[in-house]
Amino acid sequence: MTPVVPERVAALDRLLGDPADPANPVGTRAVLDADERGEMPTAGERALDAYGLNAEFVPPEYGGRLTRADHLVEVMRTVYRRDPVLGLGYGASSFIAGVNVWTAAGTEQATRVADLLLGGHRVAVAFHELAHGNDMTGTEFTAAADGAHLRLSGRKEVVTNISRAKALVVLARTDPRPGPRSHSLVLVDRTALPGDGIRDLPRFGTVGMRGIQLGGLEFDAVRVPRTAVLGPVGSGLETALKALQITRTTLPAMASGVLDTALRTAVGHLSSRTLYGGPAIGIPHVRSVLAGVFADLLRAEAVGAVGTRALHLVPQSASVYSAVVKYTVSKLLLDAVDRLAELLGAHFYLREGPSAIFQKLLRDLAPVGFGHIARAACQMSLLPQLPLLARRSWTGGAPAPDALFALDADLPALRYDRLALQAAGRDPLAASLAAALDGPWDGACRQVRAVAEADLAELGALARACAALPVTEWGVDASPATYDLADRYSTLLTRVCCLQIQRHTTDPFLAGPAWTLAAAHRTRRPSPLPRPVEDALFDELLARHRDHRSFGLAARPLLHREENTR
Amino acid sequence: MIGAAALERVLAGHESGAWAEEALRALDDREDFPADAVAVLDDAGLAASYVLTPDRDFPALVALIRTVARRDLTVAIAHGKTFLGSVPVWIAGSPEQTRELAERVREGHPVCWGLTERDHGSDLLAGELTATGEENGGWRLDGEKWLINNAGRARLGCVLARTDPAGGSRGFGLFLVDRDRLPPGAWQVLPKVRTHGIRGADISGFVLHGAQVPADALIGGPGDGIALVLKSLQLTRTACVGLSLGAADHALRLTRDFVTRRELYGRRLGSLPHVRRILGRAAAAVLTAEAVSILATRSVHALPGELSVTSAIAKAYVPTTVQDTLGRLAEVLGVRGFLTTPPGGGFAKLERDHRICAIFDGSTVVNRTALLTQTPRLGRLLRRGSADTRGVRAAADPSLPPAPLDPARLTLVSATGCSVVQSLPAAVEEIRAQGHPRLTALAEAVLERCGELAADLADFVPVGGGLPSTAFTLAERYERLYAASACLHLFLSQAGRPAAAPDDDAHRLRACLAHLLDLPDDPAYDELAQTLLDWAGPAFSLLDGAP
Repeated sequence: MTPVVPERVAALDRLLGDPADPANPVGTRAVLDADERGEMPTAGERALDAYGLNAEFVPPEYGGRLTRADHLVEVMRTVYRRDPVLGLGYGASSFIAGVNVWTAAGTEQATRVADLLLGGHRVAVAFHELAHGNDMTGTEFTAAADGAHLRLSGRKEVVTNISRAKALVVLARTDPRPGPRSHSLVLVDRTALPGDGIRDLPRFGTVGMRGIQLGGLEFDAVRVPRTAVLGPVGSGLETALKALQITRTTLPAMASGVLDTALRTAVGHLSSRTLYGGPAIGIPHVRSVLAGVFADLLRAEAVGAVGTRALHLVPQSASVYSAVVKYTVSKLLLDAVDRLAELLGAHFYLREGPSAIFQKLLRDLAPVGFGHIARAACQMSLLPQLPLLARRSWTGGAPAPDALFALDADLPALRYDRLALQAAGRDPLAASLAAALDGPWDGACRQVRAVAEADLAELGALARACAALPVTEWGVDASPATYDLADRYSTLLTRVCCLQIQRHTTDPFLAGPAWTLAAAHRTRRPSPLPRPVEDALFDELLARHRDHRSFGLAARPLLHREENTR
Repeated sequence: MIGAAALERVLAGHESGAWAEEALRALDDREDFPADAVAVLDDAGLAASYVLTPDRDFPALVALIRTVARRDLTVAIAHGKTFLGSVPVWIAGSPEQTRELAERVREGHPVCWGLTERDHGSDLLAGELTATGEENGGWRLDGEKWLINNAGRARLGCVLARTDPAGGSRGFGLFLVDRDRLPPGAWQVLPKVRTHGIRGADISGFVLHGAQVPADALIGGPGDGIALVLKSLQLTRTACVGLSLGAADHALRLTRDFVTRRELYGRRLGSLPHVRRILGRAAAAVLTAEAVSILATRSVHALPGELSVTSAIAKAYVPTTVQDTLGRLAEVLGVRGFLTTPPGGGFAKLERDHRICAIFDGSTVVNRTALLTQTPRLGRLLRRGSADTRGVRAAADPSLPPAPLDPARLTLVSATGCSVVQSLPAAVEEIRAQGHPRLTALAEAVLERCGELAADLADFVPVGGGLPSTAFTLAERYERLYAASACLHLFLSQAGRPAAAPDDDAHRLRACLAHLLDLPDDPAYDELAQTLLDWAGPAFSLLDGAP
């Protein structure tokens, strides 16, 4: 058994201090000021230096602490909860670069990158070109062979930290022919480069994440040694797609920290406000919205948790689950923050006052939908896998191990070499539904069982529809109806994640039916939650707010002012 | 009064000056008031259209607001505020008050609308700013108003003040305060409030310190304030739809430009079936918002007694629908919707700006609450099926000249319910007779929803202590029925339409109905996506030849 939240998170929390303390250089006030100036919060970066955040991104064999993806997520949630700009701008972008290196590189290159990160430096992931977006096969940036060297030419745009990174992981075309083996990843060590031939593009302005150093570089026949290629020449896309499975799972999972703070801000505001002769938080509609958002946060974290544990336990299926995590979790978070904005009304719109952080969170959260890889691209990536998943797993496949759902169960090491471009029909998560229904049931969970039975019927219907999909429906030209099948499947999996975590948890609240029933209700119809479900969620929400605990699955104690003064 | 087409030409003429996109973006960035852009509107005589004389054409006013908002919401909101602040005088002012204010408005003096206070938001009955009667018949005003658009720039303010210390619905009066006639310091402007969007707008508040105003500053009687505000809101909320429609035009244009040029995976983005469905649904949603807007703005003339219902529907439905649509379009635009520098266009700014539209002048929740207070009657009348069919016909036919504006016909509660919704069955009957099979099927489905809602409304009893979320779902369903009925009536009223128009000719209506029925897929979405891709005019509209 291992704790869901690693103990080091408390140390990080202490380093970051009380967010509500206006004198705290890493507090909310400082975070807002940095956002207004469009700068990285310097004191925040120093605090993360002191904590050694980069070590979280480095595997243990290279001297880091990246043993468990779920612990990384919990650490990063702590950062995102304070400031998404710090989360992405200090950390997550280096993490993405690192994962590509750990997936593809030899020991020498990996050691070099690990040393840079452990030395507190940034590594940027230079994949993006504006002309091609998520279509990595369209990448134009070239790495042309030139004796023992490569010559790099082209532009990389809208890339975090590209100017200040000590090293870049660049996706470059090494073969002019179209196809999946025409690109390579190149590790560019900026300290070893001649100054000329590289031009910094002007920084890109954004509506959110304003402090992030979002830039671009233009290379003009810049020479790097051929040994800079990560893995075999031509393996760039394959590596990128495998590494993406880890990052598109963990980044949305981290981002739930943003909703956690947004929800806390909303509850705080509504608790202190009087409207129509009573506290605003007592207005029935306000209660309903807050309870619904809380349920969505729990579901988002449940999906993130199962997806993250799947990287360790069933990596051969991560191509599917990572797409589902990105597709569903990002939408849950974005919609939830929009609902809270409606509740806050004019107070959401203010960049000053006690709720000022809210509008920043709303702006900063937007890239969770399109950043790194877009939701639509994830949805599309599921299409060609659906027929085989349907045939091999949805009506009788091998179920997942219990450890996938028991959040305090040990996890085996992350094996980058076990990731696969496609799951070959293996879907232990969906298959676990039938197994759960065959197992013993607590009589008190009759309603949950009814949900599971309905889901099994839905899975059967999906299996019939997907098994027969013709090859013309597997690609970008697929009909909207096929995209809807991917949506139904993803949504179904979010319910299965909740159901299975509920069945495997030791936490008294999570073991209760309310949040699982809420997940089922909210994915099936747009009406408010049934009253008992709403009451259970709302009571838990207020209790956690009162006790200064996080709103996610972990319900962990948060640093707050009383604790400081004690 | 200047027309929308002429105003569009004026603004196009300043595209390289005060109305340059780049200039407006820079102002937003620096949080500076768009004074030059406002000056262009003043020179064009836009303010004169804010004077509501009986011969005014309310839909034409809203078309002007849409024309400005299409280019910049901040400017539209900053300038249009004068209309909001002066409406109470047009409704209840004495001839003298009306004449004087009309003169000031035409001269371009900004008027602000001082309703809300720091601790009370939409809860107007909790307002603390007081008006104390003086021996000379005048009044002394003390207190604060906060989150007031143009609080600093306004020369006049329409201020809600407590005239009876006990408060209550008869305890407030509305005062037109002339800042030019106050001693210095009596109207203290509060610091500019920094906002999420409309960053350049003059949003702050003011404190009145013993501000003495003459007896004729009072609009109506000393206890008329709340009722007068509620009637004024019927007009201002209806006018606000122009802001959302302009934002929708702008967003659809940016998206169309992107998908027609963008290549991904070797395909043109606008040719992908899945993307086309998103575009078609977004376009359909906007057209339903426009249909609601057309009917609501024409109802100001044709069904003024029902505006308490109509305005609440319009103000709840239109900004909410447009905001949802912006979210769908943002997903298509991806990083381009997030960038504020090239290749990002104006999307990020308009999306931020627009979020205020579902908040100010009564948020969506406030409007749905207003609608729900009338639901017992609305449900009864819906089940009975009675409707002012002449009024509906006049409201639904844009080719008919509007009846004279008569503010005296505004009421706090609609005795006849909502004729547009109540005449839905009749509209479906007419559609049936036209013989479009696909259209008829959709219309029948809408009618079925209408029957379900009528039954559900019968079970609903408004209770004290705040309405439950289930009630808000009823309000939302009612709004959708209004939108569906508006689309059907507009379709039926379009003159020159051959009785047996081919079914595919009705694709706009079919897409609207499919969207309102929340059908995930319908062939009409794809057809409407093509219409959007081929669209060239400034306004994306149901009406052919709209400016």
